[in-house]
Amino acid sequence: MSLGYIIRRILGAIPLLLGISVILFAIIHFAPGGPLDVYADNPSVSQEALQQIKEAYGLDKPVPVQYAMWLKAMVAGNWGYSIRTGRPVLQMILERIGPTLELGGLALGLSLLVAIPLGIVSASRRGSRLDEGLTLASFTGISTPVFWLALLLQLLFSVELGWLPSAGYQSIGGGGFTDRLSHIVMPAAVLSLATIASWSRFIRSGMIDVLNQDYIRTAYAKGRSEWAVVFYHALRNAMIPAVTVIAVDFATVISGAVITETVFAWPGIGRLFMESMNGRDYPMLMGLMMMGSVGIILANIIADIAYAALDPRIRYG
Amino acid sequence: MKIDISRRAMLQGMLAGSAAMMVMPGMKAFAQERGGTLTVGLTYEIDTMNVYSTGYLGDAQATVVEGLLAPDKDAKYVPVLATEVPTLENGGIVLSEDGKTMDITYKLRPGVKWHDGKPFTSADVKYTWEAVKDPKFIAESKDGTEDIDSIDTPDDLTVVCHYNTVTPAFASTLFTFGIMPKHLLEGTDLNTSDYNRTPVGTGPFKVSEFVQGQYVVVERFDDYWRKAENGDQLPYLDKIVFKMIPDTNTLMTQLKSGEVTMAVQVPYNQAKQIEAVSSLELITGPLLSWQHLDFNFRNDILSDLAVRKAVAMAIDRNVIIKAQGGYPKAIKSPVVPVFDYYDPNTPEIPFDVDAANKALDDAGYARGGDGIRTKDGKRLSFSFVVQSGRADDELVQQIIIAQLKAIGIEAQADNKDGVAYREARYKGNYDMIYGRWITSADPVYSVFYGTNGPNNGQGYSNPTLDQAFAKFENSLDPKVRKQAASDFQKIIAEDVPTIPLITNVALIAKTKALKNFVPNPTNMTNFVNTSAWYMQS
Repeated sequence: MSLGYIIRRILGAIPLLLGISVILFAIIHFAPGGPLDVYADNPSVSQEALQQIKEAYGLDKPVPVQYAMWLKAMVAGNWGYSIRTGRPVLQMILERIGPTLELGGLALGLSLLVAIPLGIVSASRRGSRLDEGLTLASFTGISTPVFWLALLLQLLFSVELGWLPSAGYQSIGGGGFTDRLSHIVMPAAVLSLATIASWSRFIRSGMIDVLNQDYIRTAYAKGRSEWAVVFYHALRNAMIPAVTVIAVDFATVISGAVITETVFAWPGIGRLFMESMNGRDYPMLMGLMMMGSVGIILANIIADIAYAALDPRIRYG
Repeated sequence: MKIDISRRAMLQGMLAGSAAMMVMPGMKAFAQERGGTLTVGLTYEIDTMNVYSTGYLGDAQATVVEGLLAPDKDAKYVPVLATEVPTLENGGIVLSEDGKTMDITYKLRPGVKWHDGKPFTSADVKYTWEAVKDPKFIAESKDGTEDIDSIDTPDDLTVVCHYNTVTPAFASTLFTFGIMPKHLLEGTDLNTSDYNRTPVGTGPFKVSEFVQGQYVVVERFDDYWRKAENGDQLPYLDKIVFKMIPDTNTLMTQLKSGEVTMAVQVPYNQAKQIEAVSSLELITGPLLSWQHLDFNFRNDILSDLAVRKAVAMAIDRNVIIKAQGGYPKAIKSPVVPVFDYYDPNTPEIPFDVDAANKALDDAGYARGGDGIRTKDGKRLSFSFVVQSGRADDELVQQIIIAQLKAIGIEAQADNKDGVAYREARYKGNYDMIYGRWITSADPVYSVFYGTNGPNNGQGYSNPTLDQAFAKFENSLDPKVRKQAASDFQKIIAEDVPTIPLITNVALIAKTKALKNFVPNPTNMTNFVNTSAWYMQS
């Protein structure tokens, strides 16, 4: 794999992003509603005042002109100004990205640590009681609604037992490490549950494919232990299909877990997205969605690079 | 702020709550205690602390920033930074000789300090007007700035506003929202100023922390001007924390676990949970909003009074109220009962399906084979608009459609989203429309039902009604206004351009330890006077 390849992939992403931005911009402007809807029931906000606000944010201009204005701010400036707060979009995203990275990072790290062993155990004991139990558990995990699980955990650990704070990022006034840890435990657990469940399924099926290959039989025939066969010969190959899923999940979790962050009042990107969506804050939405798009494209590039690292036969020129 | 919620619970609970609320301010059974922290859960994220540019009601802001006047629990104005509410009698309002313009003089309260210790003066008032009026300042609430031509400040404690019109509603705008400190803000850009996060005000509390997306902490201002009747320096509380918790389920959980000790917007369908928690109590307060069904007069059939009256007779408000948990209250006038100007003698059109059917029969609308009436080949079939996505409104719409069917009128849902709904309402792209208006503490009604009212999309024009509105809105004499208000309520009830249906209530959950709390129905929020609140340990 060459550096040239990576650079070419990144350059190739630019027209893709431009295309995405046009489509996103069109969709959010065609969607019913608008940023000034909040004033709908308020008779004292006059049509003149609305017109003035429209002009201030360029909302009175044709959509293509608005797009050009947005693109200019996005490329050369501060990504435009939020209609809801009047503050620069980039600054608001930077304020919110820290908590999202902490929550997403912890949840994904936890997911990897748990999902890989689960997938391996499940595959190497295929058909056993253990495998069946884990399969049932993963499907339960995948199909459990996040908000419901969150509510149950909150009622148990905050209301009944009083062990953990039910929501928020830290105690008022800012807490130390343990304070923050106590706040992050529940959202991280909820967020990782679904990813653990789905990743372990992918790793399991990847492992089952690989374990049926001839070279695995050969390895066993050579007298290698099961442990060595699984980790040395099988795992790397079994990871290839899972890598794509994991990479894209990384990108989506890092660009904000909307429901988890909202339920746990976590001050991250996902909640910012939710609020911007409710208020039809166009510049804010565009900034967040473009960030998400960049994340997904990068995740795909990284996944491709990871294939080559995992499988020496794959080479990009 | 949107509170779209489905509703469930008991009317009795609500009535008991409001009775308790009436008694409370008079009770002095407990000694006031100093100290304590109140933690308030808000379901929206505070965008800016600037009262003029926030897109929400200024709950947290009201503890920090004060205006010259403020509405009290009955939506009546009381002096805050002014020493009295200007009226004709006390000489605060002086009409010009031709009666077309007025001057309003505010006497300011002496000895009031900003949170940074500098004195509050008339220059701050004048600056506030100039700053809000400035077209460069992006704000939703610029109401009233254009009515003032100039402001004189003869001395530090006197402000004379020269109005270019006569408007009794002067109190519901501008200086009531809040005064901004000239010495800190003059020459700065208000759109990007730090003031929007940590405003310096004259209120009982000062902002000590604003953490975006998490919380705002306000702490006691020791040099606050207000004293309690017993001489105590106010405020009593050490701190109020406003936590931003977007999910109402989570907010209810935090109330139960004690992480939050007050929530001002409890959804109707979650009220029951709160009643079950022994440390909490649920308080009911009125709201200045009302729901109504309006007719489009461009439709020939709907411009027939007999049809409008029949519709009014066909609607059973009790069903609508029950469907929303029993919390809303039935109304018969657009002037909600909180206001003094509400006339309880306003004629009422009672629910009576038989009478409605008879009225339509008499007026020549005969039932066709499908049960829908026709006259001169025209079917009584109407498009019926509500804002889509508002579960409560869509529910009410279904009820009304069913109730109208019983009298042979077909209403077809034609629901529109946000902006499209607003536009339909302005332009009259509907036959019937259901929705709500939320008003200030001193509303004018010509904007809704006057011939040239900017919110009148109905094509409705009634010169007698216009005259009554004009009298109400251009007079400063309370007696004349009261009479005019009775007149226009009667005209609306008899001419039925609109059917006022229900008014909502606010459900407030708070810890029982918090005393002296009084709900406030106005857009100045429940936090308009927090200085007297205290925690009983």
